[in-house]
Amino acid sequence: MAREMMLSGCAAAAQAAKMAQVEVICSYPIRPYTAIMMELAKMVANGELDAEFVHGEGEHAQLSVVLGAAAAGARALTGSSGVGVTYAFETYSPIAGGRIPLQMMIADRALDPPGDFGSEHTDAMSCRDQGWLMGWAESPQEVFDNCLINYRVGEDHRVLLPQFVCQDGYFVSHIPGKVVLPEQSQVDEFLPPYALPHPLDPKRPVSHGPQIRPDQGTIMDLQRAQAMLDAPAVIREAIDDYNRIFGRNISPFLEEYMTEDAEIAFFIMGAHTMTARHAVNHLRSQGVKIGLVKLRFVRPWPTEDVAAALSKFKAVGVVETSTSYGSAMHGGNLLHEVRASLYELPQRPLTTSFMAGLGGEMVGLKDFYYMADILSKAVKEGKTRKTVYWVGFEAED
Amino acid sequence: MFIIPKGKEVPLGCVTPAPVSEQPMMITGNWREYRPVLEPEKCDLCMNCVVFCPDACFQLDEAEEKVVLNEKYCKGCNICINECATDALTMAYELDFDDGVVRLEKPF
Repeated sequence: MAREMMLSGCAAAAQAAKMAQVEVICSYPIRPYTAIMMELAKMVANGELDAEFVHGEGEHAQLSVVLGAAAAGARALTGSSGVGVTYAFETYSPIAGGRIPLQMMIADRALDPPGDFGSEHTDAMSCRDQGWLMGWAESPQEVFDNCLINYRVGEDHRVLLPQFVCQDGYFVSHIPGKVVLPEQSQVDEFLPPYALPHPLDPKRPVSHGPQIRPDQGTIMDLQRAQAMLDAPAVIREAIDDYNRIFGRNISPFLEEYMTEDAEIAFFIMGAHTMTARHAVNHLRSQGVKIGLVKLRFVRPWPTEDVAAALSKFKAVGVVETSTSYGSAMHGGNLLHEVRASLYELPQRPLTTSFMAGLGGEMVGLKDFYYMADILSKAVKEGKTRKTVYWVGFEAED
Repeated sequence: MFIIPKGKEVPLGCVTPAPVSEQPMMITGNWREYRPVLEPEKCDLCMNCVVFCPDACFQLDEAEEKVVLNEKYCKGCNICINECATDALTMAYELDFDDGVVRLEKPF
């Protein structure tokens, strides 16, 4: 029987990896993700999980170990946080280009300086363009779901891409939430055994990662781009199966809340969605026509879904928990993608963005009320006063 | 959908057969501007070119007792010419040859 437990995001990640029957795990400590490895190490030591547990000498080594393991045909798992994620950056493109569908669990941590341990999405977001599937979980339950869904999609032969399964550090990684642990038979039905079409095998020797010519690089890039284009259909199919087998009701790319008659909406992903939803409830009780759209996958970015969902509103506030210094919008990363998604629409909603939760700062209810107020003003005035608001630091509004 | 022209296909993940002494997917000789030309009668098999070539383009053919240049991978660095003990190698401009391969789509 499926059973409900209170688990932190890290514990939920470990439970999911165990039920996915990962075969090789490579760890290196950095908080907050390290609790995932602590849980998995216990499982291996107790004989609950039959996996090779390797200690890397750093994050670059971690990724290299799981690359080798997954290339040899083992379902492999690693993870990191903050500067650990960026330290391994070199490995991300060869893993995706080599089409090795391993999984990396990221519990966000602000990048230095100087050693801020709080949660911020910039660590993982900095790696978003390498050809990895990538998405955020709002809760430990979603961490569990996303681990299994991402293995299934990434390992599908129509996709064959590695996966960043992201959760906010602390707010998700260390705060217990309700998680339904399914039966192993349900997981086995959902997730077929790992079968790489081009494995390293002594009986059939091949070279992985050889030097290639520049004109072959174009084709490899094209193949990676095609895999990303093919991924959305596979994601929809996998989530349909997930909902059927586990009795759930997950929407593949966007989760909408109170959007039907909404004039304004938050566009958000990750841990602070929970707070935003409560803010929506409160504002609704005061007559504000507000809703919320939660993003589940950053890569592949669901362009048409975003356009369709946001076209309903008069103004959208993109809540950013990452930085993109000096970029077109001089704010976070999401607003670029949102605005690009809306560009082809004949009637676009007003869009503005809110820099919030940076450095791992809490985004409280009052912050969401402030954002809603700015969105309401934009609707009234027919324009946004600013493209980017640094929540809590604006002289006006 | 994209179309990858015939002859330009790359295997999934660029996984190639191994072990091989020559990688047909890695022919880069058409990048060179200069080509080394070997005069076999001047060669005394000192093997300097075999040792010094950074692309391992020279091989000793033991049966024929001669050094053979594999032009498919030669970038025209001229190190072999510099190192040759008997001046058996000389530098020539690639496009002076009728079969000059500089920057050609299909070099060989």
